[in-house]
Amino acid sequence: MTQQQTGGDVRLTGISKTYGSFAAVKPLDLTVPQGSFFALLGASGCGKTTTLRMIAGLEEATTGTVSLGGQDITGLPPYKRPVNTVFQSYALFPHLDISENVAFGLRRRGIRSVKKQVDEMLELVQLGDFAKRKPHQLSGGQQQRVAVARALINHPQVLLLDEPLGALDLKLRRQMQLELKRIQTEVGITFIHVTHDQEEAMTMADTVAVMNGGRVEQLGAPADLYENPRTTFVANFLGTSNLIEGEVVSADTDIVVAAGGGKLRLPTDRCTAPTVNGGKLLLGVRPEKISLAHADDADVIADGRNRVTGRIVDSSFIGVSTQYVVESPAGKALQVYEQNIERDARLTPGAEVVLHWNPAHTFGLDAAQDIDAGVETVEDAA
Amino acid sequence: MEQYEPESLSAAQIAAMRRSLTSGRGALTRRSLIRASGMGALAIGGLGTLSACGIPPAKREGDAAAASDDHSAEEKQINFSNWTEYMDVTDDGKHRLTLEAFTERTGIKVKYTEDINDNVEFFGKIKPQLAAGQDTGRDIICVTDWLAARVVRLGWAQKLDASHLPHAYANLSAQFRSPDWDPGRAYSYPWAGIPAIIAYNSKATGGRKVDSVSQLLDDPKLKGRVSFLSEMRDSVGMTLLDMGKDPGNFTDADYDAAIGRLQKGVDKNQIRRFTGNDYTADLDKGDIAACVGWAGDVIQLQAGNPDIKYAIPGAGYVISSDNLLVPVKARHKTNAEKLIDYYYEPSVAAKLAAYINFVCPVDGVRDELAKIDRAMADNVLILPDKEMASRSHAFRSLTSKEETAYEEKFAKLIGA
Amino acid sequence: MTVTKEAPPAPVTAELKVRKPSTRKRLVPYWLLLPGILWLLVFFALPLVYQASTSVQTGSLEKGFEVTWHFQTYWDALTDYYPQFIRSLLYAGTATLLCLLLGYPLAYLIAFKAGRWRNVVLVLVIAPFFTSFLIRTLAWKTILADGGAVVDVLNTLHVLDVTSWLGWTESNRVLATPMAVVCGLTYNFLPFMILPLYTSLERIDGRLHEAAGDLYATPATTFRKVTFPLSMPGVVSGTLLTFIPASGDYVNAELLGSTDTKMVGSVIQTQFLRVLDYPTAAALSFILMAVVLIMVTVYIRRSGTEDLV
Repeated sequence: MTQQQTGGDVRLTGISKTYGSFAAVKPLDLTVPQGSFFALLGASGCGKTTTLRMIAGLEEATTGTVSLGGQDITGLPPYKRPVNTVFQSYALFPHLDISENVAFGLRRRGIRSVKKQVDEMLELVQLGDFAKRKPHQLSGGQQQRVAVARALINHPQVLLLDEPLGALDLKLRRQMQLELKRIQTEVGITFIHVTHDQEEAMTMADTVAVMNGGRVEQLGAPADLYENPRTTFVANFLGTSNLIEGEVVSADTDIVVAAGGGKLRLPTDRCTAPTVNGGKLLLGVRPEKISLAHADDADVIADGRNRVTGRIVDSSFIGVSTQYVVESPAGKALQVYEQNIERDARLTPGAEVVLHWNPAHTFGLDAAQDIDAGVETVEDAA
Repeated sequence: MEQYEPESLSAAQIAAMRRSLTSGRGALTRRSLIRASGMGALAIGGLGTLSACGIPPAKREGDAAAASDDHSAEEKQINFSNWTEYMDVTDDGKHRLTLEAFTERTGIKVKYTEDINDNVEFFGKIKPQLAAGQDTGRDIICVTDWLAARVVRLGWAQKLDASHLPHAYANLSAQFRSPDWDPGRAYSYPWAGIPAIIAYNSKATGGRKVDSVSQLLDDPKLKGRVSFLSEMRDSVGMTLLDMGKDPGNFTDADYDAAIGRLQKGVDKNQIRRFTGNDYTADLDKGDIAACVGWAGDVIQLQAGNPDIKYAIPGAGYVISSDNLLVPVKARHKTNAEKLIDYYYEPSVAAKLAAYINFVCPVDGVRDELAKIDRAMADNVLILPDKEMASRSHAFRSLTSKEETAYEEKFAKLIGA
Repeated sequence: MTVTKEAPPAPVTAELKVRKPSTRKRLVPYWLLLPGILWLLVFFALPLVYQASTSVQTGSLEKGFEVTWHFQTYWDALTDYYPQFIRSLLYAGTATLLCLLLGYPLAYLIAFKAGRWRNVVLVLVIAPFFTSFLIRTLAWKTILADGGAVVDVLNTLHVLDVTSWLGWTESNRVLATPMAVVCGLTYNFLPFMILPLYTSLERIDGRLHEAAGDLYATPATTFRKVTFPLSMPGVVSGTLLTFIPASGDYVNAELLGSTDTKMVGSVIQTQFLRVLDYPTAAALSFILMAVVLIMVTVYIRRSGTEDLV
């Protein structure tokens, strides 16, 4: 692999995996640019881990090829691929101490003097003092860092991370996210990170591929995905979206849609779905883009903003903001996040309100989709 | 050559095997060892220190202590412990005809238990009670003569009342009348005689006749395919006879010489093994070409394999016997005596002999047996004729000291 | 006092109870241990003491045995029967090694490759236990019979010439030779090797194999560096479960062996039941126990599996 040190992109071409009649991954093409932090995001069973394992060589692709820096590695067994994996459960060798765990890959490649490299790597993950401990004597976060060190010491062209933070508690996870990002920046290796946690993906990755049902739904920079979801799944899975179904009244520079007894508009370029007058369209808006005014103050809302009237059914105070659930003709449970800057004491459950937002913050989606696709259920969240 | 398979053993072979693991010195069940030690463990009772737990002398003094209250009259029953496959049963295994006939005639119920698999193991089983002067729960036991001798010697057998044993007294074969350990049969009556003879597989010997212990030990054609019995008295007794000595009357030096003779056979690999009854399968297959074996086994083997032959050495043969005894403290001595006597009626004895194939110790059985099976009646291994009987020799009884010393020497000979 | 009758503490006093557990409560674990301790005492400690006592007694059946602190018995037993001791350890060791060599691949296949056949194969492994130990051992007499197929093949391939030269077999036969005894031991104790091996292999996280492969270990290296070290608890318990009973076994030596293959188990049995020399039998048992105990201790120490269990 030394001659490959210059590295290259990971390119998946028409790759798929089927188990019997079940298609875990439908044929997909994906290119991960060299040096990027790439996240595969999706709910469990969406095929993201299978995709990762096909890159690692732990799973044989049913069709398609995997290439690395232009070299086809589809047929290579895992131990011949210049990639390393950080496993979900870390998979540290329980019978070896930390330094031997880290040295494992080097030793397998016949490198004798490993001490210096191991020490350096343990320093990198801040575990210098733990070299002689056994894995079970370490905390989850520490084990996780050992797993990273064990993989990184081999200077792989690509580091594959399979839900590496899944077993950690929230606080530690946040900390490790930053840590991993720091390490990636430091070593400059391509990271492919599989996760079901959208926040984690957005925090860490340069590029996120959202997977659903064995295919990639949308790929792009986190902000782009967030602002411009192209499917209801992405809209719902990445953050929260209020989706309002309406009927197209006119389509010009702006599209005007009749919904919930009123008219809403959005810029044409923010609509990915074809529009026909009289056709259905889904309008989306993020909860934090919406402002909330008491019905009594409806007159002071500036013109040109999209408005929806409704009644607060629930509100919860979470410190930086207050989250409201509003029932309206446009949608049963519209979510609104209000910054707690100047709180209006009248905004309590039962109050009649007007929701208003900048039409430019509206996005349009094909109404033929399942409106609830990607909505996080309690089960997923657990 | 016929394939030997454990599943397809004949009843006779199974019987032989059961007996063997056992009556041969190779009492093979782990059970026996565990029991021996477990029994010891329980015997210690309130143990204080190591030195507190010696083993008390086994011998009981005086017949007075041995005599039991006889409950025969009010309890019409007997508990009879015997070897497996040692009683006539119907083909379906449900009825023991001679026993049932006895109950019908006398009204005495017989609780018949086949709980003797091995002399030494059985001895271990009854020893604690007998040594403590307690009832073993058995009215009749059946053990091989050397053990019977030990039981009598230790004072653990009840003297039988001759007046209750008219048939036994009248019909006991002369050959069995006066063993040195129980002259005049005051304590015991034989159940069956067990001749040790030479058996061979004529196919394995290439048609050769084998008819002496010398040939077993020296014939190079038999090298590595000869077995002796792990029963010390049979193997050494046959060797003594071959050397012109009498197993009924020999010295330590004679014994050592016989052991030495056998040792040579071991050393030059002439003798393959010392066996319990498991020799029967080997002989049947031909892995063993010739051996010292037990007559009853040979009769049963012959029924299934015409190549099996036997020979009575010119020097004579050793006969042992299994004997019925009434242990001390047995509750039903008179009933037990009635049963013993019953089996000395020729017609009953014939039925038993026809089933178990060992030497019948009862005179006047020939006609009765001929009614059942002509060939059996003519078989000298079951009903020895005068000539056959005259060539039989019993191994003399040994003192406790001799027994230990001889068994020790024999153990060394057979490797353990 | 009875533990079972104790009612749950009333809420008011609960705090007090937690701080200062009553004597009763502190004794509970010991009461629970009682059946086990009694069992050990009655069936292990007492027999052991009894044996120890017997081994330093002298006497005879008629006169009884008395403790005379006759330690000479140990020395005599050892000098008289050391060949059987060495033989026992040698045969048991060889059989254990063979069991490991045969059992490991099988256990490995069951643990990792058998899939839904796993339980079926496991049942097959223990199936021989449904027949008696004796019958199973006797079956080997058929398998290794002088004129049988196995011996014929080995003869044709001149294997027996080699093994005879090594002293494992004798002039074209296998029965009644050391090889037959070792074969019997190996066969009879194989399940005792396979089951613990299987258990410890089955416990290995499959992702460790993937991790090793991912870290440039070939399948062979993965086995050497990951699978085998992790299965060491199984190897240790398997070898112990095989070696200890095999070294005390005498059935195989009795049925498949000859005078030259008797193991110490036979000697003990003979001394106990036949010769009625209880002291020698007890001394032999003790020596065997001590030797095995020492070997096992050293073995466990050296194998260093404490961390993994």
